[in-house]
Amino acid sequence: MAGISFSEVRHTYRPPRGKPVLALESVSLDVQDREFVALLGPSGCGKSTLLYLLGGFIPVESGAITVGGKPVNGPGRERGIVFQNFALFPWKTVRQNILYGLEKQGMAKVEREKRTQDLVELVHLKGFEDSYPSQLSGGMKQRVAIARTLAVEPEILLMDEPFGALDAQTRALMHEELLAIMRRAPKTVVFVTHDVREAVYLADRVAVMSARPGRIKEIVDTKLKSNARGEELLQTREFNDRVDHLWKLVRDEAIRAQGAHE
Amino acid sequence: MAGMMEPARRESLLTALRVGSGILFFGAWQLTAMSHVFSEFLLPSVPVVAERLWHDLVSGDLVSGIVLTLIRTFIGFALAAVGGIILGVSIARVPLVRWFFDPLVSAGLPMPKVAFLPIFMLWFGVFDTSKILMVAFSSIFPVIVEAWAGTQNIDKYMTWSAMSLGVNRHRFLWEIALPAALPQVFTGLQVALPIALIVDIVCEMQMGGEGMGGSIMTDMRFADSPGVFAYIVAIAIVGMVLVKAMEITRRRLLLWHQETQTA
Ligand SMILES: Nc1ncnc2c1ncn2[C@@H]1O[C@H](COP(=O)(O)OP(=O)(O)OP(=O)(O)O)[C@@H](O)[C@H]1O
Ligand SMILES: [Mg+2]
Repeated sequence: MAGISFSEVRHTYRPPRGKPVLALESVSLDVQDREFVALLGPSGCGKSTLLYLLGGFIPVESGAITVGGKPVNGPGRERGIVFQNFALFPWKTVRQNILYGLEKQGMAKVEREKRTQDLVELVHLKGFEDSYPSQLSGGMKQRVAIARTLAVEPEILLMDEPFGALDAQTRALMHEELLAIMRRAPKTVVFVTHDVREAVYLADRVAVMSARPGRIKEIVDTKLKSNARGEELLQTREFNDRVDHLWKLVRDEAIRAQGAHE
Repeated sequence: MAGMMEPARRESLLTALRVGSGILFFGAWQLTAMSHVFSEFLLPSVPVVAERLWHDLVSGDLVSGIVLTLIRTFIGFALAAVGGIILGVSIARVPLVRWFFDPLVSAGLPMPKVAFLPIFMLWFGVFDTSKILMVAFSSIFPVIVEAWAGTQNIDKYMTWSAMSLGVNRHRFLWEIALPAALPQVFTGLQVALPIALIVDIVCEMQMGGEGMGGSIMTDMRFADSPGVFAYIVAIAIVGMVLVKAMEITRRRLLLWHQETQTA
């Protein structure tokens, strides 16, 4: 079981120079097993920080985070993460990047080559298997990062603006691919985005965060009743009401975030 | 602009420029020699030096000198490379090692290592061991510093990615830290190699024992100025070849790196 629970999580960054930054203040949020939750909020409100804590990359100092009932203690393979800045291995080709996690799992060679090829096709990078990250566009790198994370089939997927660098068309394609993957092998997903429509389209619930220090301001149910998909769904009243509602929440916080900086 | 040209044309233009600078240099040398401002002893003419170079080449003296110098240089350099990388990586990753070596490296880096020459002669004598150790000691510092910096500043997110994909502490060094630091480590090696050559030749000049530095001193004692100049030219050529070879190796090795991509 891969439910996630944040309870009163607080995080302060203490840079070696400069004063401490309170990034998160008492975040509480429960994500059910196989639920898709999107995090929305103004830049700098602590969305990435929340993912890093859940990923086990930075220690939880105050409050508690549990996964499947067990407290998070360091990174684990069951929690795959796609970083905002891709974090690919630049000395490895596209293929080698995707293979890396499979090698670490000790998967047989034939099998992992096959899985890698499938993933390359899934993220539409056929023909670029032997390219190095420095030879790819931002959007292509992002897709390699997604493939690398999906390769090891984590139960929980943490995604930090994974489609941020893609054009609208590729992004729409990737949305469908992601949803298809979720249908085939359902996962618990925490998905950070700035795109309100993307959040409503993909997520079961959307958590809106306040300006820094981050808190959960409101959680909006976005599991839509309509059976429509793709373009059609985007036209429905239900979809657009949710988007409008979330827009207002996000905008208010964005304005507050601006005010705080001036 | 050279940057706007197609690669093949740009390459041939660059070659022409390089050859041009050589022609200009030797032309100026020859003109100065012919002007007789300096005596033929102080500045022998280009053909005299070239002839001498040819003579030493045919007789085999030059080749054996170069080989001897290169062997010492490479052994010393190899010691510096291996030792420097191990030390640099350990400093970056083991706090106790860092605590101990940080001040030593800071003090040793700007120090003129040749100042230790007399001490090395006393400790290790004037033969190969002494020269090789002197070379290693002089050229190890840039390797330490670059290996240290390279493995210290590995992108946090790349480290996290590797961790979440299941790398363990031991494999991390080999699979992530070292490849990530390779460009910087190689920069250290590129700085170290010319130092190794210089120090080896200085050692040969001070301690004797043949090699190119030794031959210069022998010719000097016999007031054989074309011989001295011939060896200076030979050293310059050997140095240039080494530097170029390192550049080519770098390009091969770092195919993946940003710097290697075509603009
Ligand atoms: N390493 C760090 N040291 C100090 N402060 C940090 C550090 N990382 C983040 N912060 C601060 O913590 C706050 C939250 O950062 P975080 O990256 O989590 O925001 P975010 O919501 O992901 O923003 P964005 O949408 O722009 O990616 C920011 O105000 C930032 O200045
Ligand atoms: Mg972020």
